Amino acid sequence: MKNVIEVRNLTKAYKELRAVDDLSFEVHEGEILGLLGPNGSGKSTTINCLLSLLQFESGHIRIFGKEMTPDAYDLKAQIGVVFQDVAVFEELTVYDNIDYFCGLYIGDKNTRKAYVRDAIALTGLEEFVKFYPKQLSGGLLRRLNIACGIAHKPKLIFLDEPTVAVDPQSRNNILDGIRILREQGATIVYTTHYMEEVEILCDRIIILDKGRVIASGTNEELKELTDIEEKVTVEVDRISQEQLAQIKALEHVKEVTNSKNVVSIVYREGEDHFGKLLAFLGKEKIRYHKIYSERPTLNDVFLELTGKELRD
Amino acid sequence: MLVFRTYFKILTKYKGIVILYTVILLCFAVFNMQTSDNSTNFTASRPDVYVENKDEEGALAGLLCDYIKEHAEVKGPEDLKDTEGVSDALFYRQVNYTVEIPENFSEDFLAGERPDIVVRSIGDYQAAYMEMQLERFLQTASLYQKAGMEEKQLIKQIKETLKETVEVELKSSVDKEGLSKGAFFYNFANYSLLAGCVYAIAVALSSFRRDCIRRRANVSPINNLRYNLQLLLANGVFAFALWAFYVLISFVMVKDVMFTKQGLLFIANSFVFALCALSVGFLIGNLTTNKEALGGIINVVALGSSFLCGAFVPVQWLPDAVLKIAHILPSYWYIQNNERIAKLETVEPAAIKPLLVNGAVVLGFAALFVAVTNVLAKRGRQRRV
Ligand SMILES: Nc1ncnc2c1ncn2[C@@H]1O[C@H](COP(=O)(O)OP(=O)(O)O)[C@@H](O)[C@H]1O
Ligand SMILES: [Mg+2]
Repeated sequence: MKNVIEVRNLTKAYKELRAVDDLSFEVHEGEILGLLGPNGSGKSTTINCLLSLLQFESGHIRIFGKEMTPDAYDLKAQIGVVFQDVAVFEELTVYDNIDYFCGLYIGDKNTRKAYVRDAIALTGLEEFVKFYPKQLSGGLLRRLNIACGIAHKPKLIFLDEPTVAVDPQSRNNILDGIRILREQGATIVYTTHYMEEVEILCDRIIILDKGRVIASGTNEELKELTDIEEKVTVEVDRISQEQLAQIKALEHVKEVTNSKNVVSIVYREGEDHFGKLLAFLGKEKIRYHKIYSERPTLNDVFLELTGKELRD
Repeated sequence: MLVFRTYFKILTKYKGIVILYTVILLCFAVFNMQTSDNSTNFTASRPDVYVENKDEEGALAGLLCDYIKEHAEVKGPEDLKDTEGVSDALFYRQVNYTVEIPENFSEDFLAGERPDIVVRSIGDYQAAYMEMQLERFLQTASLYQKAGMEEKQLIKQIKETLKETVEVELKSSVDKEGLSKGAFFYNFANYSLLAGCVYAIAVALSSFRRDCIRRRANVSPINNLRYNLQLLLANGVFAFALWAFYVLISFVMVKDVMFTKQGLLFIANSFVFALCALSVGFLIGNLTTNKEALGGIINVVALGSSFLCGAFVPVQWLPDAVLKIAHILPSYWYIQNNERIAKLETVEPAAIKPLLVNGAVVLGFAALFVAVTNVLAKRGRQRRV
């Protein structure tokens, strides 16, 4: 597997604060790599260092096998960036904005025209080409921001929190678009603090906290890191302390908590917990309205590793 | 030339304001030319002139006083008693013109020096007429003095020459009224050029200078130097176009003057000032990217310097203190040049020299503004990295 990006021991400090702390990782060709971490964990700083927008204290960055520097124009030509803040000209229409930013990479007029059309189609902005940024909703503006960053069909794409404060329709459009870009052969680095997004989108995930990698791997691999297998929640009419103790004694049960007749049962390993629990509830004649089972989330992983919630 | 083209695309969004400045210029110009057309009978009424002769012994000074009396109503100190001084007298239009003959004028003049006669005027046509007469006297005197005549002979010659040529002189080849209109137009253009250039350049530049937009350019393969050069070129082309447009208007408004040598000087002078306005635009465009703040700054800069330096009202009306402050503004030197050009009887090297000095001062200001802009831009970049 070819590495498109190799980062070795990257450290970037703002005065006392180590925003990125001895970070090492690589990105494989053709994958979507998720950089997941809470606000302030150093995701944007990492990306800005990778792009040579920021000077850093130490570390090495190689992109497409070459050292990345501020004037590595041949590398920059193959990279597309969608920044966290929307960066467009207020005075230009949707079309002209995409055309301008694409034009920074693509000189040929006809090629550019075709590329701009493609970007508009990908982000679903066909109806809005004549609009000015001021006239767009938050979600559409984000989509424009993405179109401006990827119109030149780069081989490597950075997307920094492209779905912050976006309506569900736009979010789906954005996530679909990213999948299409990957199918077209691009390698993608995607940062977010939404764990659901990396779970459904990313091939590999790196979890960051305080500028450090605290875990990395596929979604499945990361979940192995917790010793939770399954979490079942039951809303009961009433339940006695004795019955709770009996549940706790069932096979593989790690812990049982009850808060206002909502009982959650965490299983360490094993199978068919659900069936066994239902059988127990039936035998004890415990009435319940709702029962559901969950697999562990990345939030559980994060909680396990750092002792705090991923969500703000 | 992507950046260049986009610059003008952005500028078209702000064309309204630039058009507004131009319309203001046109309105004022048309208004002024019409009102002055109604009062062109300046030969009919003699100007009121206040003469202060500090060289009472001197024969040449005496002759000059007599000469002025022939052409004007001379007022003495008793006529100014209601007013605080000469400035007030001018302001309330009690006199059109004041002349102060310095001590030892006659002696110095005969010795080959050219002592300054201090004149102040309200800038109307009667004053222009007086200016012309005074100039004629001094040139004649100068001519005979250079020929090596001594005092008595000199005075006799001057008297005769001036008498002979009165008729001819009144039909002077120089259209003083037109020139004064030209100066008015170009003085007012100070405001429109400054406001237009500064506004357009600062606004378009600030769009490109926004951090997020710059960042996008910085991650793209476009070369930083080429990016900046294209912006520079776009600003230059815009300033040049605006200037050329105003020159074109001046050909419509004061056509006769513009085809003279003085007209050429007006054009050259305003070109130098356009360069300076360009540099001011650069400076202000680098101060802030906040478009609302820009509007305020531009009004202060363009309106303020136009008022202080006499673009709207004749320089002679302004208090000395204001004019002293105005020295630190490029508009002052530009307007001084316009005033000088309007008074030029002939265009010759000696007359042009002071114009060149003023022009150099304006260019010096431009260089200073560019230097300051560079320092600011460098600091801004360092802060971002
Ligand atoms: N220009 C800056 N100056 C000082 N501190 C900064 C600057 N930019 C970011 N930081 C700090 O660095 C840390 C990482 O920030 P950032 O990379 O933006 O996090 P994320 O993108 O993961 O939300 C934060 O604690 C933030 O406050
Ligand atoms: Mg961020």
